[in-house]
Amino acid sequence: MLFFLILAVTGLILNHGAGLGLDGRYVHAGWLARWYGIQSEPPREAFRSGHHVLVAANGRWLLDGRISGERLPQPVGLIELAGIFVVASETALYVFREDGELIEKLGPGMLPGVPVRAIGSSVRSIVLRTASGVFTSADALSWRPSAQRSVLWSAPAELSVAQRQAYEEALTPGIPVQQLLLDLHSGRFAGRYGPVFVDLLALLLAAVSVTGAWLFLVPRLHRGRH
Amino acid sequence: MNWRPRSSLALLTLALGAAAAGWVRGEVYQEADAFVAEVFGTVPAPKVLWLTKDIQAQAAAILGHPPAQLRQRYWSDAHKSVWILEEIGKEELITAGFVVADGRIDHVRVLVYRESRGQEVRYPSFLKQFKGAKLAQGARLDREIDGIAGATLSVGAMERMARLALFFDRMSRQ
Repeated sequence: MLFFLILAVTGLILNHGAGLGLDGRYVHAGWLARWYGIQSEPPREAFRSGHHVLVAANGRWLLDGRISGERLPQPVGLIELAGIFVVASETALYVFREDGELIEKLGPGMLPGVPVRAIGSSVRSIVLRTASGVFTSADALSWRPSAQRSVLWSAPAELSVAQRQAYEEALTPGIPVQQLLLDLHSGRFAGRYGPVFVDLLALLLAAVSVTGAWLFLVPRLHRGRH
Repeated sequence: MNWRPRSSLALLTLALGAAAAGWVRGEVYQEADAFVAEVFGTVPAPKVLWLTKDIQAQAAAILGHPPAQLRQRYWSDAHKSVWILEEIGKEELITAGFVVADGRIDHVRVLVYRESRGQEVRYPSFLKQFKGAKLAQGARLDREIDGIAGATLSVGAMERMARLALFFDRMSRQ
């Protein structure tokens, strides 16, 4: 009974996943990640600038105590300027307002060069060290080559073992809800023999339907003849 | 331990790991700056449209969710504006470039496609439907865009981005 209920409910939800807004949603639980055999990568370092702190692992960021994203890149640095702070990864720049709201994400075509190797600040400007040279910008819109020497480069700080454990818990990798539902529905969640079990259940259900219809119809047909 | 759901998870782990490592950029058909340069002959200085509360509310009505960022960069001259927008198809972002001329879509190109299915939205046979489209009542397009079997969500994302580009163009000229 429970299995049929799981099949029916997961099937219904899967059919209406987009409408229910399940696309892009994830379930985060350490036991689930382990069940799926996903290796959780503990964070090793943190980036700090002013009163902003960024710890990243498993494609997720813990930025000023708030979790964001599911497939975010590994950051290479964090800097703070007046009223904004900026996180750099190798291929993107994320400009945030002081309160953590994203002002703009700059992709490869909007950066002066990729990969970004380091980010720093100098006299109210963002400074990027890229494969194509060092560039500076005051607004993250237009960039010019820089020869500034007094750049404060962002550098990671090592985390203690206790901090790593605490952050790893918070940054547990997620399983897409659609994937989880699909695996529950198909039986794959239970492993190699799960789908075979679900197939047998389906055959059983078909047999019950046919025999039920038979038991219902045959006596009535016989009665009709007499 | 081979009874765990390994086959689907091997792929999932790979996808998560790859995305986290930053190697998955999807299928890049054209870089954003190359698209802008193609439209204007050179890359002009970018301009910025700040998304005020009012613009955010109208953009959210078009997208079905709040816009991801507070400012949108664009490139323009007296008649044309170019918008590089991103929207999720099913699970991944689609990056597309929209050229708006005199309040109508001039042309559209898919710059980066990251989903595993639905790449057909990048074909000219699909994209040419947007040519000449403008905003009608209720910030909808003035025409129906024919769908593609198996790419329904990507088609929906392209249509939402087209409406957003037209709306942003209108806002940038006020």
